[in-house]
Amino acid sequence: MSGLTFRLNTYPDERIDLSPLIPSRLASLPLTDILALVVGTTKRQLKVGDFFAVSGQSGDTVTIQGGSEHLDFVGAGLDRGTLILNGDAGAYAGRKMTGGELHIRGRAGAWLGSGLSGGLITVKGSAGDQVGSMCPGDKFGMTGGIVHVEGSIGDRVGEKMRRGTIIARGTTGTHAGSRMLGGTIWAEQGFGPGPGTLLRRGTLIGPTVEQMLPTFADSGKHDLVILRVLSRYLSATLGPLAPSPLSGRAHKFSGDLATIGKGEILIVS
Amino acid sequence: MKANGITIDDTFAEAFGMSATGVIVTADSPKWARQATVTMSGFGTSVIGCGVEVGIDRELAPYETPDGRPGVRVLLFGFSPDALLPQLKNRVGQCVLTSPGSACYAGVESKTRIALGTGPRFFGDGYQTAKLLGKKKYWRVPVMDGEFVIEETTGVVTEAVGGGNVILLGTDRAGLLEATEMAVAAIGKVPDVITPFPGGIVRSGSKVGAKYDGMIASTNDAFCPTLRGAVKSELAPDTVSVLEIVIDGLTSQAVANAMKTAIDTIIKEGLDKGVTRISAGNYGGKLGQHHYHLRELLP
Repeated sequence: MSGLTFRLNTYPDERIDLSPLIPSRLASLPLTDILALVVGTTKRQLKVGDFFAVSGQSGDTVTIQGGSEHLDFVGAGLDRGTLILNGDAGAYAGRKMTGGELHIRGRAGAWLGSGLSGGLITVKGSAGDQVGSMCPGDKFGMTGGIVHVEGSIGDRVGEKMRRGTIIARGTTGTHAGSRMLGGTIWAEQGFGPGPGTLLRRGTLIGPTVEQMLPTFADSGKHDLVILRVLSRYLSATLGPLAPSPLSGRAHKFSGDLATIGKGEILIVS
Repeated sequence: MKANGITIDDTFAEAFGMSATGVIVTADSPKWARQATVTMSGFGTSVIGCGVEVGIDRELAPYETPDGRPGVRVLLFGFSPDALLPQLKNRVGQCVLTSPGSACYAGVESKTRIALGTGPRFFGDGYQTAKLLGKKKYWRVPVMDGEFVIEETTGVVTEAVGGGNVILLGTDRAGLLEATEMAVAAIGKVPDVITPFPGGIVRSGSKVGAKYDGMIASTNDAFCPTLRGAVKSELAPDTVSVLEIVIDGLTSQAVANAMKTAIDTIIKEGLDKGVTRISAGNYGGKLGQHHYHLRELLP
């Protein structure tokens, strides 16, 4: 596995934008140019060299050693290769990713995977609000790819999400899947209050819902083949990271009937 | 030449290039997966009269299917991808969608795709929903026993082969049928091939043309035992029955493997059942692109 390693030497005292540090953007740059890339977000115009010691050679992998909640846009725009962050990430990690893999071995901030259209994001810890959601100015949230969070996720995960899959091995906060248009959110330990607010299409899967909206209709208990297909797809794609396989048995709630109501919350045991 | 007391003709089977597609049908039990696929394979013996040649390739264990349930893989062979399309749509729509507990997935993987769920999904009358997982799109169609899940497309290949064959001749009609059934069962273990005729066996081999206007094929009188003496027969005096196994395969190698398997089985088991000779059907080698010489397929 060849690639560049960025070792965080100086804890950033401002928010820094690490979107330039992806394999495709670094591929053709000599080390001096890499060190001169501006990552600061203030008028100080701080550069990569002000924070990181860089080693290795350009390749398919970029590794960032050391994290901080000030490291924003980690892996944003990633289109190929692998980016590993050994530490915490700030906001907007994996934003507008189209391919490749982003592995955050720490916690992630808000808007993780916002606008994601392809590729895989894994987070070892928990993630903040608005995971896979739309940012102000976006038309949609996630439109593809997979986000896998080992811990829990904050509020409004998957807002206006259209396609793709978000998995929380823990719980999600309030209003998961609000205004969702498609895709799948699987909260292995359950959803917080009000999941599926104004849900149009898409699937929310979990063992419990803290407070079900009254605009969801009880459609009964069923054996759904698509849950088996989903389980096998995730098992093939994620390997050991995949959630425990579903038997297919689910209690279906259809909604949100305040909109077109073609979405569903599936309560699985 | 002879093998284990059975004469092997120095001839070849002549086969044709075809297009092929396939589906995997799953259900709650192997019985219902097979039921759905047997139904969709009906009236699919010859592309000339049926529009498509359809058959079961093999049964699939739960770990081999997209939903982890028992399944069966069906292959369909036609003149072109365009010719396969309406056959696939009608057969899936009428025979798989209707079968209790069924689901239907792509059975051939290739870059070229044809519609699979594109038509049947409209049975959902607007209540159908889609689920995109990776690059595969699945439709969920509400039906009276739950949901019918069907993949949007399946693969199609244009390098398939149709019309591989072996002809078996014997002195005992019942024994020959038993031996031929054993050969068909052995072919059932060869991947990527089907034997589309009833039980995999044809008793009405044909020649090109007929004395009647408009008929493109008629009985192969040279191989009809009851006409021996009255026509220029190909049969020995003690031959009382002739049966043929027709084989379609996704590749030429698959067809060759199936023919070899059939010949191996007959050589091992056929003598006791009254099999006296193994031959193959051809049209002089001028019509089909694929020639399978029996001597090259001997064990």
